Amino acid sequence: MNEPRKQGAGEVDYFACLDLPRRHAIDRAALERRYLELSREVHPDRFAGASSGEQRAAVERASLVNAAYRALRDPVRRAEHLVKLGGIDLDLTDPERGAPDPGKAFLIEMIELREALEEAQGAGAAAVGRLRGAIEARAEETLDAGIDAIDGGEVREAARHLVIHRYLQRFLDEIDGEAH
Amino acid sequence: MSTQGPSIHDTGALFQIAEPEERRAPARAPGRGIGIDLGTTNSLVALAPHGDDPKVLADGEGRALLPSVVSYVGDRVIVGDAAQAQQEEAPGQVVSSVKRFMGRGLSDVDFTHPYHLVAPSQGAGVLRLDVGAEGEPHLVTPVEVSAEILRVLRLRAEDALGGPIDGAVITVPAYFDDAQRQATRDAGRIAGLNVYRLLAEPTAAALAYGLDRGGQGLFAVYDLGGGTFDVSVLRLHDGVFQVLATGGDSALGGDDLDRALAAHLLGRAGFDETRPPTRHQRELARIAARAAKEALSEQGEVRVSVAACGIDDLAVTRATFEELIEPLVQRTIRACRAALRDAGVRARELDGVVLVGGSTRVPRVRAAVEETFGRPPLTDIDPDKVVAYGAAIQADILSGSAREGVTLLDVVPLSLGIETMGGIVEKLIPRNATIPIAARQVFTNYSEQQTGMQIHVVQGERELASDCRSLARFELRGIPRLPPSMARVEITFQLDADALLTVTARELMTGVRQSVEVKPTYGLSEEEVDRLVMESYDHASDDYAARNLAEARVELGRVALAVRTALAEVGHLTAILPAEERASIEAALVSADALMREASEAEAVNAARVEIERRSEPFARRRMERALLAGMEGKSLHEIESVLAAEEEHLDERRGGHSAEVIDG
Repeated sequence: MNEPRKQGAGEVDYFACLDLPRRHAIDRAALERRYLELSREVHPDRFAGASSGEQRAAVERASLVNAAYRALRDPVRRAEHLVKLGGIDLDLTDPERGAPDPGKAFLIEMIELREALEEAQGAGAAAVGRLRGAIEARAEETLDAGIDAIDGGEVREAARHLVIHRYLQRFLDEIDGEAH
Repeated sequence: MSTQGPSIHDTGALFQIAEPEERRAPARAPGRGIGIDLGTTNSLVALAPHGDDPKVLADGEGRALLPSVVSYVGDRVIVGDAAQAQQEEAPGQVVSSVKRFMGRGLSDVDFTHPYHLVAPSQGAGVLRLDVGAEGEPHLVTPVEVSAEILRVLRLRAEDALGGPIDGAVITVPAYFDDAQRQATRDAGRIAGLNVYRLLAEPTAAALAYGLDRGGQGLFAVYDLGGGTFDVSVLRLHDGVFQVLATGGDSALGGDDLDRALAAHLLGRAGFDETRPPTRHQRELARIAARAAKEALSEQGEVRVSVAACGIDDLAVTRATFEELIEPLVQRTIRACRAALRDAGVRARELDGVVLVGGSTRVPRVRAAVEETFGRPPLTDIDPDKVVAYGAAIQADILSGSAREGVTLLDVVPLSLGIETMGGIVEKLIPRNATIPIAARQVFTNYSEQQTGMQIHVVQGERELASDCRSLARFELRGIPRLPPSMARVEITFQLDADALLTVTARELMTGVRQSVEVKPTYGLSEEEVDRLVMESYDHASDDYAARNLAEARVELGRVALAVRTALAEVGHLTAILPAEERASIEAALVSADALMREASEAEAVNAARVEIERRSEPFARRRMERALLAGMEGKSLHEIESVLAAEEEHLDERRGGHSAEVIDG
């Protein structure tokens, strides 16, 4: 028996789910309002007196609404979802439908960043803080570039930026993790 | 843990299609839902029928808090104050703070306790407590001990409602993981309860507070229970209680404050590693420490004596106590900050902070909460009862009462993941995700020979599976023999509104549901729970019926005795009792005697009583008239009327007036 290996699952349009236009710029108030409305309607507690089939269906509907809300309220997950709807799933390794290669230049940049972090850690908390700030700014720029690409309909390009953003975010998490 | 989807019938076939059976909508009984706060130290049951304000139910002696203590001394199981009274003489047979053992493995038990624990035979599995007397092992699981507490609360509620209850909402610490929640649900089932929902304790408290004050805004709930600590950040908005984040420690509570003080007391009494206290001494010191802690909330100094530990009139100041508990208080504060961070909320944005749990009466705890959140906490609802109130409100809603509905959007407190290559955890559902929520994962085969795979589900935030809580292992079987990567199995991990996990699997090529065999790591298996439920069913369905029958017999006996007394005294006077009437009454008495011996249902006994009352009613009336006439000579009309009125009342009370003292032969 082997370890499990992973592949992608079917796509659901979370925007349609919450009656929102399929684009990155989002009306936060509309999102919150619609989410609360739907939650009231579909929450399994509303079906406490229903048959087991209806109850199961309520759990599934509520799960979908919660997943949609979670994905859309966060700008990064929202961008990744749009890319996924465009046919590229960043959680897959498939060369066509999966996360694109971030590129050699970026991998070299990451190696340099790691070296810079080691140096900064030797120099003290202030140096780590400065480096962290710089990486955070770089991550922001990358996300913005990804969103611009989505708005321009360039899914593949958007996906590349979002992959780089993931690397940078993970790096930031590592810095924060070590600081604790 | 259970598989909601496919059930397993080993037919030898590759795939078994076993859709869950469709059950009809359960008939609900509005107003017959109860809320239970199953606490580490104390448990409560509350009712809020048909939209009423919640009320905590007290026992016959007016005590609302049922100590969560179960005694196995002798042949009978005793719960509550009486069990607590036996704790000193038999600490190993009287179980307190059993909540700390719920859903736990032997290696999780890193706190002191006086019990003899028995590890499961094959490493994993549920642990057991040996509560037998010396040389007579008697093993019970924490789930069964909890079920005893729940059963007492159920009976208390049945008494208050005058009949069976429909269902219960049982509260759990928000920070409880799947195994702990499942254990709680199992305990409910074994206690004969239809568990509507498990509700997070801070959410229940918010429900009690929120409904009170119009329900808008951002709130934090700081809940320091006997053995658990939770903090939740919620947004209340138009009847929706949205938990934004929750945090805590399911192994830190008021008990730990007691233990810190107990260790200090024992230290001052000269105990150390070279001269350790016995379990018994440790337990006595803990009990004394709890009393001292409570006293120190009111006064600056307390004097403690524990003869068995050589502690004699030892002075403890509040300052000393505060110093001892400071590390524990700081642990709770760190969790508060983390919850605020996860919720993306700053302390000053909050509209209120709610305190829950008896240990929030400790002044240092209050002060620390006030410092952290920058405002005095809300304490106007009794912190011991507020969770039960919230549970009762939710139970009333779920029973189908016409109460203005609220929607509780709770979160899963700990990330759910699976173990992958190298023991690394891949997170499927992150902590603080709103429940219910599902995650799907597609797995493929590595070779044509592979017809199954093992999946290990864990819960926690750490990178390595070995550092997280092991929830269960699933074995997927019956994967078709296909070339590598061609067989694709989609597994759905579904967390329901109780944050309980169910797993279903489907082969994508054929769309066939697949068998998933669940082995809970620290829980009882489905079969074990079913067996315990069946065993208790025998009692459970009997419990209420048996008590009803006993009560009906007492009533019948009382009425029959009164009629017989009357017959003996004045039954010979045909002016009062014509012969045919006497025969009819005597016949009813004879059949009542038979029922007293043989009846197995209260209905028949009650019917017999009503029949005697009906047949003897004219006899009773004539007797009363005669008694009145005898006492009336020489009285004024006014006096006669008032005596008559008093007798009428008496008659009503006595259901037919067969009372010996009315007779004036």
